[in-house]
Amino acid sequence: MSFPVTKITLRLRAAAAVSAAAGLIAVMAAVGALFPSVGHTIGTLNVPKSVSNLLGGADYGTITGWFRSEIASIYGPLVIGAIAITGAAATTAAEEEDRILGLVLAQPIRRPRLVAAKATAIAAIVLIVALGTWIGLIVGVALGGGGITLAHMTALAVQLAFFGFATGALAIALGAGTGRRSLASGGAAAVAILGWLINSFAPLVAGLDWLKYLSPFYYYAGHDPLAHGVNIAGIVVLGVLSLVLTAGGIVGIERRDLRA
Amino acid sequence: MTAPPAIATSGLTKDYGSGRGLFGLDLEVSGGEVFGFLGPNGAGKSTTMRLLVDLIKPTSGSARVLGLDTVTDSLEIRRRIGFLPGDLAMYPKLTGRAMLDYLGELRGGVDARTRDALVERFDADINRPIHELSTGNRQKLGLVQAFMHEPELMILDEPIAGLDPLVQQSFHALLGEVSAQGRTVFLSSHTLSEVERVTQRLAILREGRLVVVDSLENLRKVAVQRLEIEFAEPVDPGEFRAIRGVTEVHADGATLTVGFEGSADAVVKAAAAHEVLAVRPREEDLEDIFLHYYRSESVA
Repeated sequence: MSFPVTKITLRLRAAAAVSAAAGLIAVMAAVGALFPSVGHTIGTLNVPKSVSNLLGGADYGTITGWFRSEIASIYGPLVIGAIAITGAAATTAAEEEDRILGLVLAQPIRRPRLVAAKATAIAAIVLIVALGTWIGLIVGVALGGGGITLAHMTALAVQLAFFGFATGALAIALGAGTGRRSLASGGAAAVAILGWLINSFAPLVAGLDWLKYLSPFYYYAGHDPLAHGVNIAGIVVLGVLSLVLTAGGIVGIERRDLRA
Repeated sequence: MTAPPAIATSGLTKDYGSGRGLFGLDLEVSGGEVFGFLGPNGAGKSTTMRLLVDLIKPTSGSARVLGLDTVTDSLEIRRRIGFLPGDLAMYPKLTGRAMLDYLGELRGGVDARTRDALVERFDADINRPIHELSTGNRQKLGLVQAFMHEPELMILDEPIAGLDPLVQQSFHALLGEVSAQGRTVFLSSHTLSEVERVTQRLAILREGRLVVVDSLENLRKVAVQRLEIEFAEPVDPGEFRAIRGVTEVHADGATLTVGFEGSADAVVKAAAAHEVLAVRPREEDLEDIFLHYYRSESVA
């Protein structure tokens, strides 16, 4: 790994990550503050199971359900996935399309070390956003009157971080393998959204329940970290997936011509 | 033991299909030489340089830089060379200083004094963000990074693009100094005037194929030369067309432009039979030399 590459990538992407983390803290504080006055009034929504699954159970009557539906099911993974995917696409494929990578790789640095260093920087950026999520949860839950343990809030932040690692690694694999920014960001976003839909709908169709195991969303939220804490198996799957995808990106960029 | 050539290619080919790319390049550049690599846009100059730096892999053939294979020993080659890409781009948000710091850290072993001396020599602005810099000022940064670690070989793709005449002068002086130190420069251009003052030998590339490798002096000898002769009265162009070696004659009032191969003696003597007001040599441009070699090739 190359420390200068990690450092410069962090320098160029840190502002976006800190903004996203600050935004998450603000949104979660607002969400938590709303719970006492709104949550009990809404209660559990009477919606079809498919919609309920998409909304993380649609249980707005409890503080755990409120944060699961408002943050854990959509907003949290959306923000961390977007930051991871755009950051990863910007550091490999976009630099190649912008012709910066040609100058960098004319220096004495091996391509695998470059990709590994960029992946490390993206992981650090994801951790910044996950930290924002964790702080936001603590503030939001406190403003909402409490009711979720620190361990379970930490569990959500940890699961979310690993979800970010996996989506970022997918964008790195696609970006390093093809050198195309649109393919890196679009492909990774499509897989993340498809995974969310599969995780929500597959369990409702007899015989297709197994499809949920193909979704990174299942390993992130299938265990309901806000209610049950950390899911070690889910973290291991997402962690291994991230490493495999990053290795795939390394193999991909090593074997091909630089595009520009 | 004699030192290996700075650059040696053997049948080097990069085939992009549809006739695009580089085909069967056999080229040798000696150590300490300033070598010009010329050709029009799309001739394959950048492709050759990207192959030498291992940014792209050859379809067939091979290349050695400083005696090392460009594919298997790429890391060591990149440690010992400086490279300026033709389509230079850097992180737009960084200042020039931050960009040079970054490249210096990646490379390691860059003497800050050498870097600062180059910055001063080229009057490079390293304190403003790169996106605020003009093309010429960005090119200065590109030159600084290519020279700052005092490499044995500099591979420079269109190094003078965007530079003002004063900086060009500094650049040419620098090339003279590094050549005197025994270091090698391999630089490309699409215009002869950019390289004729600094190169000892040059190669001309066209449509991915090597047309000729020779010294500029030899190339000029065999290329068509032109004289623009201003007479006091209009003269008969046919008188000059009949001279052996004259390839073209254009009349514009009392001025004749005479193109010829070899010695100018017969043309000058024919002109002396009339009252001559002025004789101006017409500087050959690269395209004329290209055309000469195309004609030669098509005849062959």
